[in-house]
Amino acid sequence: MKTIGTDDAPIEVLLVEDSAGDVRLTREAFKDAKVHINLRVASDGAEAMAYLKCEREYANAPRPDLILLDLNLPKKDGREVLAEIKASPTLGTIPVVILTTSESETDILRSYRLHANCYIAKPVDLEGFLKVVKSIDNFWLSVVKLPPESH
Amino acid sequence: MKNIIPEGFAERLLSDRLRSAEDALAQQIGTGIELQGRRKDDSEFPIEIMLSPLESAEGILVTAAIRDISTRKKAEAALLRNVQDLNRSNEELEQFANIASHDLQEPLRMVASYTQLLAKRYKGRLDADADEFIAYAVDGSNRMQGLIQDLLAYSRAGTNGREHRKTSTESVLKVALINLRATIEESGALVTHDPLPAIMTDDTQLAQVFQNLVGNAIKYRRAAIPHVHVSASKSADKEWIFSVRDNGLGIDPQYFEKIFVIFQRLHGRDEFKGTGIGLAICKKMLERLGGRIWVESTPGKGSTFFFALPEIEEKS
Repeated sequence: MKTIGTDDAPIEVLLVEDSAGDVRLTREAFKDAKVHINLRVASDGAEAMAYLKCEREYANAPRPDLILLDLNLPKKDGREVLAEIKASPTLGTIPVVILTTSESETDILRSYRLHANCYIAKPVDLEGFLKVVKSIDNFWLSVVKLPPESH
Repeated sequence: MKNIIPEGFAERLLSDRLRSAEDALAQQIGTGIELQGRRKDDSEFPIEIMLSPLESAEGILVTAAIRDISTRKKAEAALLRNVQDLNRSNEELEQFANIASHDLQEPLRMVASYTQLLAKRYKGRLDADADEFIAYAVDGSNRMQGLIQDLLAYSRAGTNGREHRKTSTESVLKVALINLRATIEESGALVTHDPLPAIMTDDTQLAQVFQNLVGNAIKYRRAAIPHVHVSASKSADKEWIFSVRDNGLGIDPQYFEKIFVIFQRLHGRDEFKGTGIGLAICKKMLERLGGRIWVESTPGKGSTFFFALPEIEEKS
């Protein structure tokens, strides 16, 4: 058995984010990560679902160990994506971290009702954002035991 | 009576309202009855009938005064329309501020993050000019973020007000002082207060008001150790008047109004940080609570900020 997070079995992270600027910032922040991460990006909700269901060009896409999900997305909204993931018997065990600019109580409550694993509001300054990504790395990718891939 | 009141109404009026002098007196004295009147040419207009008792040798008589109230009715309708227009424009303004600040925040976050990243990665690796330009870009975007966040805070201030509850204003002040602990310790400020009353109000908003006022009292200090004193008294017209007195810089009377306006400041950014939001938020919150705020001050001696809150009866 391979240990995840090493070079021969990197941790698969799916980032669902429509802003290219945010994608790049997240990549930059993950550069100093302690573990080996494969960051894959879906730029809208529909693409995220296609990736997760291994449709079209994603036929051989690896199953993510962790999903970072923005809420306000084109086509299929992050809230719908979250609901679909958590309702699925195969995808439901993948931890989903909501990473969004919304600080609205409605969004926070709704996300947890839909079984989001945690909710993070993007800090507005760079230092804050880097810190958040670092804590995701520390906690979700190092401290936490992630679920084994379900078959 | 039948002459000036439209048919049908006359009968009803006579039977309902004026059954007897006693009934009429019991029900209608002092308050007018509003009805439609009819002119000889059959056009109708609003009238008011006022009844008043008149004791005479023959028993109680009732005099009825009938008044044409067309002008008053028109004025009332105009006033109602104006209030509705004003409410609508207020709501629109609030929505606008909320949306504008929220939507502006996103692109600005990109500008701020990437200029900060530039500064972090390339400081000292380009040339002195580049470092200076980047520093100005970082500073500008940081300030813009501060303004937008404050605009958002201002547009939200008092909008999710809670129901008024019996509140110990002394405990509310304590909450505010806990939030200001770092400022108080760092400045060595002495904050004292008289016994403060328990009143019907919204404790969260009141805590914010205390926090902003005491915070300002400490922030705009002279060299002396800041001393802030909070007290309260009841005025003749059933209001609680709170005061926050300091021994700070004081304010020139010509600025007494200006300081409550959003983003208005009396000092440069190098002297005191901030966008000029604190007092504007206090004013907005207090007005939402049915109160008002004003200041008295002597430059070089100190300022006293007063705010009045109406005394509200506790619901039983």
